[in-house]
Amino acid sequence: MIDPQVIIDHWPYFAAGIWMTIQVSLAAIVLGFMIAFAVALLRTSRFRLLRGVASAYVEMLRNVPFIILLFIFFYGLPFSGIRLPEQVAGTIALSFFASAYYAEIIRGAMASVPRGQVEAARAMGFTYGQILRDIIVPQMWKFALPPMAGITTMTVKESSILSTITVAELTYQGIIVQGMTFAPFEVFFAIAALYWIFTAVLVRLFRIAECRVGSAELAAAARSPVASKYLTLEARP
Amino acid sequence: MQFSFEFVLETLPALIAAAGVTIRVAAITIALSLFFGTVLTIVRALKIRPVNVAISIYISFIRGTPLLVQIFLAYYALPALGIRLGPVTAGVLAITANNAAFMTEIFRGALASIPPGQIEAAASLGLKPRAIWLKVVLPQLYMRSLPAIVNECTIVIKGTALLAVITVVEVFRTAQQIGSSSFRPFETFVAAGIVFLGLCLIISQFGLWLERRFALRRGT
Repeated sequence: MIDPQVIIDHWPYFAAGIWMTIQVSLAAIVLGFMIAFAVALLRTSRFRLLRGVASAYVEMLRNVPFIILLFIFFYGLPFSGIRLPEQVAGTIALSFFASAYYAEIIRGAMASVPRGQVEAARAMGFTYGQILRDIIVPQMWKFALPPMAGITTMTVKESSILSTITVAELTYQGIIVQGMTFAPFEVFFAIAALYWIFTAVLVRLFRIAECRVGSAELAAAARSPVASKYLTLEARP
Repeated sequence: MQFSFEFVLETLPALIAAAGVTIRVAAITIALSLFFGTVLTIVRALKIRPVNVAISIYISFIRGTPLLVQIFLAYYALPALGIRLGPVTAGVLAITANNAAFMTEIFRGALASIPPGQIEAAASLGLKPRAIWLKVVLPQLYMRSLPAIVNECTIVIKGTALLAVITVVEVFRTAQQIGSSSFRPFETFVAAGIVFLGLCLIISQFGLWLERRFALRRGT
């Protein structure tokens, strides 16, 4: 039978787990975004070689499962003589993974800033750095934020894979508690619920930020009653 | 220890052989999730309130929780309800449940891009709802969501690597076994990465070919 007592008794494990998940994923999101910004700049570089390197980086990270990237990174580090604690190695691997997705978004958002503004700035003698800082970056957020919400929640969800290299985040704690209690149903549902809440909060924060920067709302096209029977999915109130 | 490129080449054949399992699991999963995605889309369009609320909760749950946890739920938690599944079946079930939700979301987007005039024309010509779905809406739905569906296929391929955690012997699990018996885990995981890179690139190239092939019908 379903026994919620299991969850209540072991709440310190879940609390420690969600705290580690928050730390690891937020660090990976921030670090990943910074790497992504550099990669996005490389992808719009004048030099073909730099563009090639940047797009190879993105393609490689996007086409290999994160669990394998993590293991390559984790087992590859000792080769270069570097010893890192699991959570640090895991966070760095997660940052690289997230950066490949963020880079594509940043590149698209930068390209969405009206071209004329960049040309006008250049005609007025702005340097590359000034154009970036004063024209492109302030305006790119309204294009970047909506897709960033999805990638950010993806990063949080992928952080569960760090449990396979024994980072004591939420999923790992769940496996520990399940080993002690033999109550997989309660434990894994509790964990799923905690992830669900965390990602829902993140999405809500992104919506608030999107309103601030004025992401263009897609105006729902006015539809005829006949067509809406097939083409819309929301139940009528 | 030196990174041995020869060892990467040596392990590749064994991993490519194991890719058969990965491809089979992924193919079944993609077929099932396309089917359930379509069913959910049609059921949603019937606009029965409680059903639609249930479907949105399901989609929100799938999108808000990690695939790894969903796999654990299918493999470890279902037996608590008396449903005991083998690792492969549990894995297919988990990834299908996951992917069907994303397919449904893709179809929702594609549905919104179909011109309403076509439905009005079909309805005024006297087509029955069944015919409107099968002859007017669905063919265009698949055509319009083709790039997104292909993208989902690569996501499913990558998702199958997680099944190694519940002991399905696919590419990644095989790599773990070779890695621990040869004491060269780094090279083996690099080789596994190459196999997945190859699989995903083949799928996305095939997707581009399909898009070109159906360019006329897609109206692009």
